[in-house]
Amino acid sequence: MKLGMSPGLFDRLVHLFRVVNRVPDPVLKKLGAILMALNVLPSDLASAAGALLAPQSREAGVVFLKMLSKWIVEAHSAAREGKKVILVPFNFPPELIHAFDKAVPLTSEVLTTMGVAILKGQGERYWDIAMGLGLPDHLCSANTIELGSMLGREDFQPDAIISSAPGGCDVNSKIHEFASHYLDIPQFFLQKPPDDSGRGREQYSVYMRTLISQLEEFIGEKLTEDKLRGVIEKANRCTELYFDIWDFHKAAPNPVPNIFALFMYGTRFSMWGREEGVKTFEAMVKVAKERLAQKAYPAEKELARCVWCYTSYYYDFMGLFNWMEDQGYSHLGDGLDLYFPQIIDTSTMDSMIEGLAESAWNMPMTRQVGGESMSRSWTEDVVFVARELNADCVIYCGHHSCKQTWSVISILRKELMNQLGLPLLILQGDSWIKKMTPISVIQQEIDEFIKNVVARKTTKKRELRKRKKIKSDLQ
Amino acid sequence: MDEIIKQTGVVENDHVKKWKDDGGRVIGYVCVATPTEVIDAAGLMPYRIRALGNSNTEIADAHMSRFNCNFCRSCLQLGLDGIYDFLDGMIETNGCDHLRGMVENWNYVKKFDFLHYIKVPHIVDEDSLKYYEEELRLYKKAIEKHFNLAITDEEIWSQIRRHERIRDKLRTIYEMREKDEPAFTGAEVLSIFLLATAVPAGVLEGLLDRVIEERKDNKIEGYKARLLLGGSATDEVDFVEEIEGIGGLVVTDALCYGSRAFWPHIGDKKESDPFKAMAKTYLEKLLCPRMFNDFPSRRDFLFSAIERAKVEGVVLIHNKFCDVHGVDNVLLRIALENKGIPVLQLEKEYGAAADIGRMKTRVQAFLERISDSR
Amino acid sequence: MFFAGIDIGSLTAQAVVIKNGKIIGAKTISVLPHPVDSAKEVIDRLLSKQEIKWEDIKCAVSTGYGREKIQQEGLTRENISEISCHGLGAYTINPNIRTVIDIGGQDAKVIKVNQSGKLDNFVMNDKCAAGTGHFLEVMSKTLGVSLDELGPMSRKSRKPVEMSNRCTIYVETEVIHFLQQGVSKIDIAAGINRAMAERVVALARRVEPEKEIMMTGGVAKNVAVKSEIEKTLKVKMVKSKIDPQIMGAYGAALFAQKQEGAK
Repeated sequence: MKLGMSPGLFDRLVHLFRVVNRVPDPVLKKLGAILMALNVLPSDLASAAGALLAPQSREAGVVFLKMLSKWIVEAHSAAREGKKVILVPFNFPPELIHAFDKAVPLTSEVLTTMGVAILKGQGERYWDIAMGLGLPDHLCSANTIELGSMLGREDFQPDAIISSAPGGCDVNSKIHEFASHYLDIPQFFLQKPPDDSGRGREQYSVYMRTLISQLEEFIGEKLTEDKLRGVIEKANRCTELYFDIWDFHKAAPNPVPNIFALFMYGTRFSMWGREEGVKTFEAMVKVAKERLAQKAYPAEKELARCVWCYTSYYYDFMGLFNWMEDQGYSHLGDGLDLYFPQIIDTSTMDSMIEGLAESAWNMPMTRQVGGESMSRSWTEDVVFVARELNADCVIYCGHHSCKQTWSVISILRKELMNQLGLPLLILQGDSWIKKMTPISVIQQEIDEFIKNVVARKTTKKRELRKRKKIKSDLQ
Repeated sequence: MDEIIKQTGVVENDHVKKWKDDGGRVIGYVCVATPTEVIDAAGLMPYRIRALGNSNTEIADAHMSRFNCNFCRSCLQLGLDGIYDFLDGMIETNGCDHLRGMVENWNYVKKFDFLHYIKVPHIVDEDSLKYYEEELRLYKKAIEKHFNLAITDEEIWSQIRRHERIRDKLRTIYEMREKDEPAFTGAEVLSIFLLATAVPAGVLEGLLDRVIEERKDNKIEGYKARLLLGGSATDEVDFVEEIEGIGGLVVTDALCYGSRAFWPHIGDKKESDPFKAMAKTYLEKLLCPRMFNDFPSRRDFLFSAIERAKVEGVVLIHNKFCDVHGVDNVLLRIALENKGIPVLQLEKEYGAAADIGRMKTRVQAFLERISDSR
Repeated sequence: MFFAGIDIGSLTAQAVVIKNGKIIGAKTISVLPHPVDSAKEVIDRLLSKQEIKWEDIKCAVSTGYGREKIQQEGLTRENISEISCHGLGAYTINPNIRTVIDIGGQDAKVIKVNQSGKLDNFVMNDKCAAGTGHFLEVMSKTLGVSLDELGPMSRKSRKPVEMSNRCTIYVETEVIHFLQQGVSKIDIAAGINRAMAERVVALARRVEPEKEIMMTGGVAKNVAVKSEIEKTLKVKMVKSKIDPQIMGAYGAALFAQKQEGAK
C-alpha cells in the first residue's frame, strides 16, 4: 500500500526554480520584498525568502538563487539532451563533472538543504520514506532526505552516484551505497586515505585518475584539456573571490552578511567552475565591499564574532542567520566553508588533474575528519580560522548523526581553550529537521552562551580583593 | 569449555597475566583488518580489544559523546579505568568513525607507549590493494623499530601457517555447531572466539583441540529454532544467552567477533611475498560493511552460512549509532526476505541490561513467527 | 472448557476468559508494582466476577511485561509475546485483518498477519514516548482535559494547529505556548492527535501496512487519532467488536485454547 506519496523533492524544487529562473532579477528582488511584507508566503518559504532576500543579502541572494535555478533545471533537462546526471555528495568537486559536455552534477546535500528551506513540509516526508524502509534514525538527514525522496521511487533518479565520503564519513558513504544497490544505480568511488604522510596524498591522485577514467567510460566522453581548463580557470576565479570574502570577514563589525556562509559553500558544492558560480561570488564581494565602506551592520553593535566549527542549521534561515545578526552575533562561516581552495596550475592536463585532486583532498569534512587524526586536522583548521578572523567564540552545531565530530569535540573544546582561550558552545539537534530541536531552543542556547560566557570573557578581568591579614597568618 | 567461559569473563585473563609475568609484551588491536600474524611473528601477543558488555561509560562519555557507539565508549572506559594497562601498544585501524574517535580519545588522555595506524582502504580494487600492502609493510617496520627487533618473512610465513591451523580448528568448531545436532551453543562459541583473540597462539591451539575433543559427542536439544546472528561488533555473551534462553539457538553467525574474523584463509599459497598474500586476503575478504563496494560478498557469505547451518531465521543486530551495520542490515534483510528467509532486524543498546527485555520480546515474537510458519 | 489470557501492560492489566473461542468475561485493573501480583489480582477478580474457579481453567497464557515470571510462578502454562497475541486476537475477530496497529500506554506496535492469521512481520516502538499513549497523557494534562475528552473535542476543530516538534517534551512546551497565545483548546487537541497519528503512521510504514487494518490497545478509543490515521493511510480501519484494550489478553486466551487443542 502506498502511503500518500507526494511528488519527490527534486521534482518539486525544479517546479519552483523554473519559476525563479524566468523572473528577471530586479523583479525577483522587489517581488521577494513585497511577498514578505504581505506575509502571504508559507512560514518555511518565508523564512528562506526572508533570509535570502533580506536587504543586506538581497543583491547576492538573487544571484545565488538564479545560479541554483540554472543548476537544478540543467539537471532536469539533462536526459532530454542526452546528458548523464551524476549524483555527488557535497565533498566532491562538481567542477570535474562540469568539465564534461555530456554530464551534469547534482549534489545530495544541496538539494536537501534547498528542499528543507523552501518546500512545504520541509524534508520530513522524505526522511520518513527512508525510515519506512527500516533505515536507522541515526543516519544523516543532510543526504538521507534527498536520497529518501529517491528511494520512494517517485522522484528523479540519477544515472550514477559518486561516493567521495569513504575515509571521511561512514554514514554518508553508507547511505549512498544503499541507494546505489536499492535503486540499481552504478556507483563510483573516490576514497580518502586517512594518511597525512604524503603517501596518502599520492594514493589519492591515483584514485582520482582511476575515477576520471571510469567516468570517461561511463559518460562516453574523454575529458579534454580545453574543457577542463575552461572550468578550472573559473574555479580559480572563484578561489580569488573566496579569499576576498575571507579578508572582508576580518573587519569589525563584520561586513559580510551571515547568510553568505551558506552562499559560499552552496556555490562550492554546485556551480564552482561555472560562470554562474563566479557571478555569485562577485555579487557577494560587491555587497561585502559596500558594507565595509559604509560600516553597515544589521544590529546596533557587533556583540560576538562566532565561528561555527561544523555545519549550521538549515530549517529556518531567518531563525538562524538573520536572528544572529539582529542580536549582533556575526556568523563568520562554518566548517563547510573550510575548503581552503588554491589556484590550480592550468598549464597541462596533468597539473589540472593534480589540482583537482588537491581540491578534492581539501573539501570540507574530507580535510578535517578524513585526516589521520580527526581532532588534530579539525583543531588546526578551526584554530586557524578563529585566530585569523578574530573570533570571540566557536559554536558546534551538534548535528546528531555526525559521529566523527561528536567523537572528538571534547578534544577540540580543550584545544580551543588551551590555544586561544576561546569558549566552545555545544548544541544538539538535527541541522535539517526542525522537529528534533526547535530553533527557539537553539536561539536560547546561543543567547545564553554569548551573554553569560562570551560577554564575560571580553569584560575587564575582575581583580581579586586582597584579604586582610590576620594575626594567625603571621604565625 | 568451563575454563574458556571462566577466562573470557575478564579482560586480563590468566594467560595474559602469565605471558606478561614471563616478560612477554601485548599489543592491542581493534579490528579484523589487522593481520595479527605480524604481531605474533615479532614474538608479541596480539589482543583484540573488547568491553565484555561493560555498561558504565561515565568517564568515556566525557570524551566521546552519547551519539557514539556504546561499544566503543565501553572499551574507552575500560582503557581509561586502567583495565588495559597491560597493553604495551595499540594498532589502530580506521574500522569505523566511532573506532577512530575511540582511539584518538584514548591516546589523547592516556598516551599509548606505541601506537601505529594501519590505514585500511574502504574499497576493494587494484589501487587499494597496492596501498594496503604497503601499509602492512610499514606496520611491520613500525613494530620492528619500536620494539627493536627484526621480523623476517620466514617468521611471518610460519605465523601464517599457524594462524591457518587455528582458522581450521575454528572452522571445525563451526562445523560442530552448525550440524543438525549442534555440539555448541552460540554463547559458547562466542566465548571460544573471545578467548581465541585473548591468549597467545601457542596456548590457543591446544585449547581448541581440547574443546573440540570435549564436545565431539555433545548434542544440544530442546530449542525452538535455528538462528544466524549477524551485525555489529558484540562481545556480549549474556545477550546471546538470553536469545538462546528463550529457544533461539544461534547455530552460526556473521559477526566480527565471530566467523567474519577468521573465515577467509590466506588464499594464495603460491605467493612468495607474505605481505602480498596477507593484503589480498585481509582486504578482499574483509566481509565488513565498512567496505563500501563489496555488499554482494557479504550477502553471499550470509547465504552460504544459512544453507550450511540450515538456518530458519536470521537476527541482524546493530548497536545504536552504528551506521555501517545499521544500513547494511537493511540491504541484507531485503536480500534475505526476497529469498523467503525470515529476518529480525534489531537495534540495540550495547551493554544495557535494561535493553534485554525489549530485545527478548522481539526475538520471542520472531521465534513464534518462525514456528508458526513451519 | 475455559481458557484464560493475562496481559500485563505498563499502566493496566487485563484478563480474559473464553469458552469455545467466545469471551465469557474480561477485566481491566491498574497495574500493581509487581507483574505477578497484577496477574493474580486481575485474574482473581475476573474469576470471582464470573463465578468461575481456577480449577475450571484448562489452560492459561500470559503476555506483556513479566509474562515469563508469571509462567514461572505457575499461574500460566505458557507465555507468548504480546505481538503474536494482538495479531491472533484481531484475526480471530475478523479474518480479513492483515495489519494490527496496537498503541498502548508506553509502546506502539504494528503487526502484520498473513491470510492464515500467522505472524508475518512486526515493528515496535518502546523507547520514544511520541506515538504512544504516554504522549497523549502528557498533552491532555497540559491542556487540562481528561484523556477521554481529547479525542471527541478535537473532532470539532476546523483548524488544527501544526506541531513543529516531535519530541514529547518540546510538544508540551508548544502546547503551553499555544495556550498562552489564546489558541482554542479544540484546535490544539486536534493538533496533538494529528501529531500522534503521524508518528504512528511513520512506524507503520516500516512494515508496509495492508488492508484490512484494525487498531487495538487503549489509544484505539481515541476517535480523533483513529480518524487521522485513516486519513493518512487513505483507508477506513475495521473497528474491533471487543474492547480494543483487552485484545492482548483475548489473543493470549486463544493461544491457551490452541495449546490445549494441540495436545
